[in-house]
Amino acid sequence: MTQYICHKAETRGHDYSDWLDSKKTFSFADYYNPKRMSFGALRVLNDDVLTGGSGFGTHPHDNMEIVSIPLSGSLRHEDSLGNHNVVSVGSVQVISAGTGLFHSEYNGSPTQPAAFLQLWIYPDVLNTTPGYTAITLPRTFRENHLYPFIQPGNGAATVTIRQDTWMSMGFFDNASVTEYQMHKEDNGVYAFVIGGAFDIDGRVLQNRDGLGIYNGEGVTIRSLSDQAGLLLIEVPMSLPFAV
Amino acid sequence: MENTKIRILALGYNPPIMAVVLRLINSHDNWNGEMASSLEEALFKLSNHSYDVVLLCAGVSSPDETILKQNISAVGPKTRLIRHFGGGSGLLESEIRRGLQQ
Repeated sequence: MTQYICHKAETRGHDYSDWLDSKKTFSFADYYNPKRMSFGALRVLNDDVLTGGSGFGTHPHDNMEIVSIPLSGSLRHEDSLGNHNVVSVGSVQVISAGTGLFHSEYNGSPTQPAAFLQLWIYPDVLNTTPGYTAITLPRTFRENHLYPFIQPGNGAATVTIRQDTWMSMGFFDNASVTEYQMHKEDNGVYAFVIGGAFDIDGRVLQNRDGLGIYNGEGVTIRSLSDQAGLLLIEVPMSLPFAV
Repeated sequence: MENTKIRILALGYNPPIMAVVLRLINSHDNWNGEMASSLEEALFKLSNHSYDVVLLCAGVSSPDETILKQNISAVGPKTRLIRHFGGGSGLLESEIRRGLQQ
């Protein structure tokens, strides 16, 4: 029987400083909630806003697939692999940390805030070669359907990460109905609202609410407002190593 | 006061990352970290000191983890073996707290 776990937006961890406003769905940094450690392989879902000119200075990562999705403004990325890039709304960047790299992420604007989602997914294999990819999504990803921008197997305007992960995003007019089918039997999907409101299998989600769905074959999604935005993250619910 | 701190041995094979991890560990009021940069060094330290936690960091393979598990069960069964992901400050606190609670 399909199982659901709902994380209302206001129940997330919240860190606020003069440069960063960060809301955390799962335990991260100073926010620790043993009941909020992950959803399967999805370990981090941070909803961050950087003030103008600020950012995360150079710091390391290893053994994690890190996806950044700008929601407003832009991010200026630099890493120890030699990559320099700016990603803005409509683009997505993926860091495959593997054996390790250093990087920095700064707001691309010296004055305007930048909002982005930061997702960390456990890899299926440890200690691989680090890598960096950024893609620009086609304009059609906003037209009443879910656009899969991360999926196994390379395709146009998609990225493959080191995990059986499908990540989709879409923006919908009011009362649009979409079906989502799980790609693998043991996977679950985490739905995160990035604008407006949705009904997913009879559960109403408002902006920034999250809903984890597992032990099921798929879900029925109905938008409840215009310009309703949804991010879906399908991941394995179990890992080949202890975490 | 020092002896009430949680003693953490961090094993990892990427020195620049390990320097950051060690600094993060020792910036915590209740943690005292040491580093090992090879399996042999970790086994030597485990045979000479007691640790609350062995933290497995960048580059440590599953076979190395198995060897450490066997060693810990023999010389320090109360020591927790915890794998650290992410290589930075984001997950360190919750990994160690959860590992100590389990």
